[in-house]
Amino acid sequence: MFPRRRDALQRLGGTVLHNLGRRLVGCLACGALLAPLGSAGAFEVTIAPASPQTIYLQVGVGTFTGYYCGNNCQSYPPIPPNTPTPPIGTPGNNTTVNTVSVSVAAAAVGNRTAQTMTTNSTQSDSFYDGFAFCNAPAQLYIGGFYRTTASGNGSINVTATVPANLTDAAGDTLSFGTISWTSSGNDDTGAEPFPAATFAAGTVQTIGAIAQNQWAESCWTFSYANTTVPAAGTYTGTVTYTATTP
Amino acid sequence: MRLRSPSLLLIALPAVLPALAGTTRIDDSATLPYAAPLTVHWEQPSPRPPLNNFMRGTLTLRVKLNVAPWLRRSGRIYLTLPAQQPGPMFVSWVTQGHLLPGQLTSGSRTLVYSGPITTPFIEDTLELTLRVDGTRLQEQLYHVNFNFEMDE
Repeated sequence: MFPRRRDALQRLGGTVLHNLGRRLVGCLACGALLAPLGSAGAFEVTIAPASPQTIYLQVGVGTFTGYYCGNNCQSYPPIPPNTPTPPIGTPGNNTTVNTVSVSVAAAAVGNRTAQTMTTNSTQSDSFYDGFAFCNAPAQLYIGGFYRTTASGNGSINVTATVPANLTDAAGDTLSFGTISWTSSGNDDTGAEPFPAATFAAGTVQTIGAIAQNQWAESCWTFSYANTTVPAAGTYTGTVTYTATTP
Repeated sequence: MRLRSPSLLLIALPAVLPALAGTTRIDDSATLPYAAPLTVHWEQPSPRPPLNNFMRGTLTLRVKLNVAPWLRRSGRIYLTLPAQQPGPMFVSWVTQGHLLPGQLTSGSRTLVYSGPITTPFIEDTLELTLRVDGTRLQEQLYHVNFNFEMDE
């Protein structure tokens, strides 16, 4: 092989041309080898997150489609028979306004013994994991999540817009500041995301926070302070809870 | 000395050839859409346990590979996804049968064809699904580049 190649090159010309020819061959070979490394071709996919921010806030009853599938959710699609439809749980809109109330016996009005309130909410189970986290009607469920892209330790606040007073049909008033709540949850440990507090009458009050990409929930037990003797009647008022993304 | 130098070059070339000629990027510029938008959605809309922060999206690609330089030869074609922003990505695809279905992670490649090259172009329709950790995404677009490579 080698002698034949040398013979062929020799037929191209004299000594000088012979060497030049071999060097050109060597350079062309290098060029041919290097060209593919820089050649065209690279299709591109431009990714953009849809609805990168999602918030869900539930006070009392809520709506969720797709049930909890536990560890089977780790597989995609989730392993039957826990294949949820639609998948993995999607929050829905529930317009129900639950009430928390107490009827104070005439003999007990204003006796400074706090009166425990109950709710008409039937929601004890958490949509987080299906666990009976609260004890309705003694407790009111409050929970939700804040979904967002990007890493970090961000959170959103949940606020309560609290009127100054509850009122009755005659126009008598009772300060919202007479109502407070304790916070807990079955089998719960650590600080509550929505801790115990008393309504700050006539304000927008921060009542808790939800860390990003986490679910936060608590169970509230309300009580009426019962420290005054208001006119007899049914006193009502509405508190609106709000979660806002940045 | 002048005579020995070219000889050394010719001796060295066969040793270099397998490494350099082994992999060549294929011209896939006829692929449609060539710069495809892909909207990714949360796999788990709510952060319930076990927490899954992946987002995913699927798009259809009409892949057209110019394999004319390898006509009447045999080769192996790979889909490659170089490591790039926004970080680890997981891609899977199904095909119409001209190319192989498969999956890969960023920084790797997967065989999509092996055999003789009998036509100047290899075409197929890929339904490609991309998964990415949503917590790695900022409020911006990410241009993710794929390549097709030929191994001879």
